[in-house]
Amino acid sequence: MDLTSGPAPRYPLLIVVGSGGVGKTTLAASLGVLSARAGRDTLVMTFDPSMRLKQALGVGEEARLREVPVALDAPGRLDASLLDARLTFDRLIERYAPDEESRRRVLENRFYQHLSGTLGGILEYMAVERLFEVAASGRYAQVILDTPPTRQALDFLEAPSRIVGFLDSGALRVALKGWFDEEGHLKAANRWGPLGRSAERFLDHVVGMDLLRDMAEFFQAFAPLYQGFRERASQVEALLRAPGTLFVLAAGPGEERIPDTLFFARHLEEAGYHLGPIVVNRVHPRFLLDGPPPTAGDPCRPSGWELLTWAGERDRRGLVELAKLLSREQPLVDVPLLPDEPTDLPSLEALGKTFEGRLAEWGRYVGRTS
Amino acid sequence: MDPIEPISRRRLLVVTGKGGVGKTVVSAVLGRALAALGRRTLVVEVDPRENLHQMMGTPPSGGDIVHAEPRLWVQNLKPRQVLDQVVRDQLKLELLTRRVLASPVYQHFAAGAPGLKELAILGHAHRLLYGHAEVGSPEIDTVILDAPATGHGVALLAAPALVTDVIASGPFARMGADLASLIADAERSGIVVVTQAEEMPVEEALELRRALQQRVGRDAELLVVNGLYPPAPPGGGDSNARENELVNLWRRRRGLQERELARLRESWPGPCVELPQLPLDRGPALLGVLGRCFAAGRPLAREEAWT
Repeated sequence: MDLTSGPAPRYPLLIVVGSGGVGKTTLAASLGVLSARAGRDTLVMTFDPSMRLKQALGVGEEARLREVPVALDAPGRLDASLLDARLTFDRLIERYAPDEESRRRVLENRFYQHLSGTLGGILEYMAVERLFEVAASGRYAQVILDTPPTRQALDFLEAPSRIVGFLDSGALRVALKGWFDEEGHLKAANRWGPLGRSAERFLDHVVGMDLLRDMAEFFQAFAPLYQGFRERASQVEALLRAPGTLFVLAAGPGEERIPDTLFFARHLEEAGYHLGPIVVNRVHPRFLLDGPPPTAGDPCRPSGWELLTWAGERDRRGLVELAKLLSREQPLVDVPLLPDEPTDLPSLEALGKTFEGRLAEWGRYVGRTS
Repeated sequence: MDPIEPISRRRLLVVTGKGGVGKTVVSAVLGRALAALGRRTLVVEVDPRENLHQMMGTPPSGGDIVHAEPRLWVQNLKPRQVLDQVVRDQLKLELLTRRVLASPVYQHFAAGAPGLKELAILGHAHRLLYGHAEVGSPEIDTVILDAPATGHGVALLAAPALVTDVIASGPFARMGADLASLIADAERSGIVVVTQAEEMPVEEALELRRALQQRVGRDAELLVVNGLYPPAPPGGGDSNARENELVNLWRRRRGLQERELARLRESWPGPCVELPQLPLDRGPALLGVLGRCFAAGRPLAREEAWT
């Protein structure tokens, strides 16, 4: 399996997924450096990189608006961009709104302004939307996408199908009917007679009519944008499942992270995405000391010898356990915990090379034993 | 310093911080510490996958309140259950309730209305503390809320005010108003921020503090810095190369942590306690030792000599 060498990539889109705090963003950036080194014009799209990583790539807030070049001297170009769901959503509305009035109505809607990010996965969807825009532009031979830093990062992948489902669901049709008459009463309440009036009283009582009016208005304002949106969502969906799209699953070390890792791996495969290597990141190295590690008298102040030998064994157990639970064909690589976090392009490149090296070793190992 | 002192009489403690920093273990440590002081304490975990029971050595909660130790209970909460319960309480007719709960309009409303899920989580705690609890649930002095890792911690704490802003009347509006006053009242509620001495978690902790001041109008009571390596020995050659490598890794990782600790010292004015990384797997044994470390209350490290 070869991810980043050669000018013509087998997988033009690499998507790095995994739980928060396992080093996804750093891994995505390091793959980007290798890819540009191999002569590909490459874009790394990330969500919320650390200050350290932004400095390493040399990008700032302007990357929210456009792709920004990284000062890497390589045969291929390396650009970076930061995904900002709300900004993308605003831009999308500007683009699809048929006229100024529809645009204004959506953007000024109170419900839209408070949209918390869970409504049918709309905000997650926006990130995928931006990805599609870039992928379709043909400006990059290789796009590497980092995914949101949440445990529910998979929501993000399901966003296109969920949004199509949501747009097609009864909820939207009901909303589009126009719930409210001129006086702001529920229309259905009049048609349904006493039951309708009691439903109206109930709704008013429980959620307050104002919020419902805001929501209904939002969906009505959204209606003219609907068709374009729906088509786009289906295309994005196809892109995520395309044979040239490969998922790299980043995972934390240690046995207690295994359920998380398996959950992601199984979910990706069941959903029909192409799962590439599983990368167990920041694995404590094993230290074989001459004798037992010196222990401290105070259990609250363990010595570093005690702590690091314990962590090395724990992470080794985790790797062995995980390998047992995966199929033989599943590439599994471990990347050691480094003394320092990468803070510049050379250290990102070194990290990427470690990863590539481990992946090649895995390939040789599987080739030898099969 | 006794770190439990500033929060021992609060009725609601919200434990917040970035995902993966150890909020759940800190919530459990606090729960035990309060129970030991005689407070009847419930630790509520809001995570679709349960972790708390593993730490406490209890069976999984499955949504129920489970008795763990004297004066200590645990519960895994699904916010959606709480919302559905509000609908049930309001709509007395079973048939109508079922239709409302099954309707796509309610489904999307419950999933998407701003702040509603957060409101349900806080509302659950409020109900247990201030009456209207279901028959059979224990009487509780303190609820410790292990806040969900998704999104920014302040979203949970700012939700009551947001809901009262978008929903003008009805039970959600009343709930919002009650909860907003509970959260704003530093006599009744406390906020514990958990972090690790790494760039992103520290950044998020500092941002959270600013957001709390701006959007909720209050400060956090306690900062817990979790997962610290012990101070490393001074440099110098050792005979064993492998051992040198170990000490190098130890020293460098501790160095990264010390830089972040220094940043916290500079920008976090309130009480703060450090917890060590321990060579123990997740479980009751880890909880026991961490509890003792917490009680010993090592404040934010000033430079100390390695011994």
